[in-house]
Amino acid sequence: MSTFWSLWIIVLITFNLGLALMLFFWGQRVKVPVLPDGTTGHIWAHGVLRESVRKLPLWWALFSASMFVIGIVYFVRYPGFGAYKGTLEWTSQGELASDSSANLGKLQALLQSYEGQTLAQLAANQEAITIGERLYVDNCAACHGRNALGNQILGTPNLLDDDELHGGDETALMASILNGRIGIMPPIGAAFTPEQVTATAHYVRSLSGLEHDAALAQTGQATFTTICAVCHGAEGTGNPLLGAPNLTDAIWLQANDIASIENLIRNGRTSQMPAWSARLGAPSARLVAAWLYSRQTR
Amino acid sequence: MANGYHYFETIEKHAGLLGIGIALMVSLGGLAEITPLFVRAQQVAPPENILPYDALRLAGKDVYVSEGCYLCHTQMIRALRAETERYGHYSTAEESIYDRPHQWGSKRTGPDLARVGGKYSDEWQRLHLLDPRKTEPASNMPAYPWLAEKTLDADDIVARMRVLRLLGDPYTDADLAAAPAAVAGKTELDALVAYLQGLGTAFPANGLEPGL
Repeated sequence: MSTFWSLWIIVLITFNLGLALMLFFWGQRVKVPVLPDGTTGHIWAHGVLRESVRKLPLWWALFSASMFVIGIVYFVRYPGFGAYKGTLEWTSQGELASDSSANLGKLQALLQSYEGQTLAQLAANQEAITIGERLYVDNCAACHGRNALGNQILGTPNLLDDDELHGGDETALMASILNGRIGIMPPIGAAFTPEQVTATAHYVRSLSGLEHDAALAQTGQATFTTICAVCHGAEGTGNPLLGAPNLTDAIWLQANDIASIENLIRNGRTSQMPAWSARLGAPSARLVAAWLYSRQTR
Repeated sequence: MANGYHYFETIEKHAGLLGIGIALMVSLGGLAEITPLFVRAQQVAPPENILPYDALRLAGKDVYVSEGCYLCHTQMIRALRAETERYGHYSTAEESIYDRPHQWGSKRTGPDLARVGGKYSDEWQRLHLLDPRKTEPASNMPAYPWLAEKTLDADDIVARMRVLRLLGDPYTDADLAAAPAAVAGKTELDALVAYLQGLGTAFPANGLEPGL
């Protein structure tokens, strides 16, 4: 704050406070002319109402005086009187920093006590999974759903089933949370004729035993083997290294009717799991994983 | 001090004079508290990492304003632990320097959006704007299906950038020349998603507090 604006504020405050203080004292001591009947002579309503003269009640005077005292003490202790920082040197950033570091100290001690524990151990710790659930709800539930059951419209996986796109061990899970994932199913519409797309869709449904046209599925198998198998495997069992889903199980990321599968083959799909390392940090992210673990085994 | 009753009498007997006296005293507070901030706001200089909105995000910002998103969402993280833990580092004046008007808002029916950029995927943002119930069954946010049907008008966006340049935003001729290509064929939905995904991302280093 420049000297000019500091002085500007100081002058205005001093003038305001000084004037108010002067009126406060003057107003109480000024001699009000009193008529013999004890009134000021002001009358209303043809003399029915008259203004008598009384001293201010003591409680009122004391209450007002205390407001001045509180105001002055505030300007001494807290910032506000121009550039003067106040004896407490209080700032909102400072209060936040001390608040946060006090809390961070508690949290870090807690997180340190969790270090070296397996997810299974953490999952049995009520306190750990309570924190994990809270973080999950704020950060993950938007896509994976409040109950972690996934969202087929968005194509986000159910996190509680035993089908893991990128592998089910802790390393893979933590990598997914911290670094995010990008899943790319390339559009294959240009490489296939419309008939081939339909046939492949029937073959894909046949892999998991869904209703399909057997003749079409047989045609589709050929196209599947030449192109789709590169990622989904010759048997269609997927590839965790690429995040290619297993097509032979009953678990579907998205709708599995023929039209939806055809659309997916034709136009492909890019799915994105954002990275959470900056928002969560590894120790907190493990608690989210622990909460999921506790739900999976239940 | 016992004298001077006639001053008090004059003021008490003339309501207009009393009104002027009250207005003067009250405005002293405003002069002391508000005027220095007006002057200070003009002196805030944008740090290097805060750039004016590119064409698509600028269009998105205007969609944000015209749809009234600020009525339910704030873009102002206060310096309170409960807020910084959930939303990230508190908002700073520099971050709003290219917002005309600023989108701080004053009511949170939905969450604060000051640092929502990158929190969710583009696909999530699109689906959520078209029908919020598809991502969160209990959401009470309105659906905005028409955003996907309205295509951006490139000339309009360039005109807006020109006006902003007149007001002091550092758009270059190259920025203006590149704008039509950047918004060609894009819908209001694309623009709004681009805008949302950019919110708060200028401060990757201190934007968030890991581990909190």
